[in-house]
Amino acid sequence: MATLLAFGAATAAFSAERALRAGQAAPDFALRAVGGPNVRLSEQLGEVVVVAFWSSRCGPCRAHLQELNALHASLKDQGLIVYAVNVDDDMRAAREYAAGLSLKIPLLLDPGKGVARAYRVDTLPMMFSIDRQGIVRGVRRDDRSGAPRSAGAELRRLLAQ
Amino acid sequence: MLRVARVLIPVMLALAAVSSGAQTPPPTDPAVTPPAAAAADPAAAPATDPAGAAEPVAAAPDTRALDEQIQTLKKDAVDLNRELFMLEEELLFPANTQVALFLSMDVGEYFAIDTVQVKIDNKEVTNYLYTPREAEALLRGGVQRLYLGNLKVGDHELVAIFTGKGPNERDYRRGAALRFKKAVGAKYLELKISDRQRRAQPEFEIKDWE
Repeated sequence: MATLLAFGAATAAFSAERALRAGQAAPDFALRAVGGPNVRLSEQLGEVVVVAFWSSRCGPCRAHLQELNALHASLKDQGLIVYAVNVDDDMRAAREYAAGLSLKIPLLLDPGKGVARAYRVDTLPMMFSIDRQGIVRGVRRDDRSGAPRSAGAELRRLLAQ
Repeated sequence: MLRVARVLIPVMLALAAVSSGAQTPPPTDPAVTPPAAAAADPAAAPATDPAGAAEPVAAAPDTRALDEQIQTLKKDAVDLNRELFMLEEELLFPANTQVALFLSMDVGEYFAIDTVQVKIDNKEVTNYLYTPREAEALLRGGVQRLYLGNLKVGDHELVAIFTGKGPNERDYRRGAALRFKKAVGAKYLELKISDRQRRAQPEFEIKDWE
């Protein structure tokens, strides 16, 4: 039992060490957008940005994307930028899935998963709040939806800075 | 390394001086007591000290000196950062093996750049995706350092594949290749995109900066 507990603690410590944490610099990326120009994160320095990873194969992602869309609608006038990064292999499926949700937020495509690896995404959906200096201020893993709503206060605070 | 040490040592000494200054308890001189603190704590202020009236005047030079020290420190830190960057480049990409690849774009009437993939000796070394802002910067005359790496002395082949929008907004994909000899010393190559007016087509060439 002690061995098992020790193993569990070690695994948890390892995974915590691997995950991108608040206070770390957000890795830069350049990705294609669905129906829009290519996007490079570093060009948004000075803005508050949410980067959310999703897949058309993930059940909770549907509600998560809709909540993100609502969050963006309520805070876009204050300057909030939201990027929903898709990690599907099949880009067509991703486009169709997103089209069915009538989203207004930019959808970025990461079929090579290079950006997801850089952000050490370990579950879907997963979202990162990034401040005006390009520093990660919030990491939310969400398997029951509600993460975008819970991030609202934090984002308002970042937008006010 | 000596250059870095030259910069690093004064910065560390200055930092130590500032921190020790900040940690040293202030002398029991009412002239250096911040006026706000004195006002907040009447007991701390001397009851009958005519020098109290001169407090703000006496505190000003100290603040100015500290501000100057901070500015000097900031400048030293920026200089140190630059030195470290140069040192890192010198260590990672020594001049005798260094190969640098630049990209420039002239006019751009017949080509809107989207990506450039570069292979050296059939191995992908970079695959760059351009945003509209970056493409605009190139059109305004910017030269981008696309790749910096190391190559052994000898013969090599560079292949660049450009994708984007060509004439009449059509998807466009073209390649350019160059065989070059790497001697001892740094090698500089340039991918040059220009308009060929006579054929109303873009032109892609790789130039060797001899």
